[in-house]
Amino acid sequence: MKPLPSNHQISSYIIQSQEEEIKRIATELHEGVNQNLYSLLTGLKVLETGVIKPHMKMYAREMSQLLEKTIQEMRMLTVELHPPTLTTLGLVAAMKSYCKLYTSTFGILIDLESNGVEKPISELKKISVFRVCQEALANIAKYADTSNAKVVFTWNEEKLHIHIYDFGRGFQINEQQTEHSFFGIAAMKERMLLAGGECIISSKIGEGTSIEIFLPFFESCEGFGET
Amino acid sequence: MIDLDELKPVVETCNQLMNKMNIEFAGLAIQNKTGPDIRWHYALGNLNDKYKRITVRYGKGIAGKVISSGSPMMIVDFPHNILGKTIDYPIILAEKLISSYAFPLFFNAVPKGVIVVGKRMKYSFSEDEQEIVKEAAHSLEEKLQGFIF
Repeated sequence: MKPLPSNHQISSYIIQSQEEEIKRIATELHEGVNQNLYSLLTGLKVLETGVIKPHMKMYAREMSQLLEKTIQEMRMLTVELHPPTLTTLGLVAAMKSYCKLYTSTFGILIDLESNGVEKPISELKKISVFRVCQEALANIAKYADTSNAKVVFTWNEEKLHIHIYDFGRGFQINEQQTEHSFFGIAAMKERMLLAGGECIISSKIGEGTSIEIFLPFFESCEGFGET
Repeated sequence: MIDLDELKPVVETCNQLMNKMNIEFAGLAIQNKTGPDIRWHYALGNLNDKYKRITVRYGKGIAGKVISSGSPMMIVDFPHNILGKTIDYPIILAEKLISSYAFPLFFNAVPKGVIVVGKRMKYSFSEDEQEIVKEAAHSLEEKLQGFIF
């Protein structure tokens, strides 16, 4: 009889299943629902041109605008759920696109820099790193009280190093203020461990917070498989 | 659309709200004339200029929910008892508001804007205060009619 899987493997499996489901929902919304909404919008605009009564024309225009807003919101939702660029253009492109959305959502400017040549990483590792970056940026919006943050990707032969730091108020690492933020930080560390990497958080009151993510390319791990 | 923050009625209305209500923040978000984007045009009592870069997500946060529903909304003690997640409320996070009240602005019977007032402490806005915001919203609807369409 095969030995039961370890907790580590079970966690990996749960995260992997969750991500697959999220991706499926995002694809369905993007390729199914949103395409139909586009067709409806085009049809409505055609109908609008044939309407003579001014108040009915105005009504049709309002309907088109509402539909446009819905399409835009749906597009943002699908990108938030699972960025399509992550699979097609890679991690840095997906992060650039996310940072743009992040600035227009929270008003915080992100300076993103990538040094070295981007290496191929497995889909699961890519999504893990992306989720950890997303969580780090969400924490900046929630707690850092700052208008600027920096994200630096450094690619070398052995590993990827990502440094996310803000110039905000910082916090006392040992004194987590809320249960929620504690779980958020623990989840970031665990997620990176499962991907075979590491996440180091350091912070000082008044000096901001620094999050370093390391992902070795060749180290085998118990969790997610290699490319 | 011209920049609404340059318009006297907008500035006056926000100033009046600040004086009458003892609030710490007042802001106005309006949907762009072209395209579906809703952005913050003016804020008073703001701690930073994040609001200038924030585009209100339709149906998200206090402003987005008020515009999508066309109904006013109050938050008494953020982040307790809110709908959704804290990160769904960018203007409240950016301005560190604890309590807020938002009222929609209608143009041609369609909600296209929102006026938000807030304090950086726990507070429940009374019916009289809600009425003041409502009147300010109606007055802005009239004054901005020509600039929205």
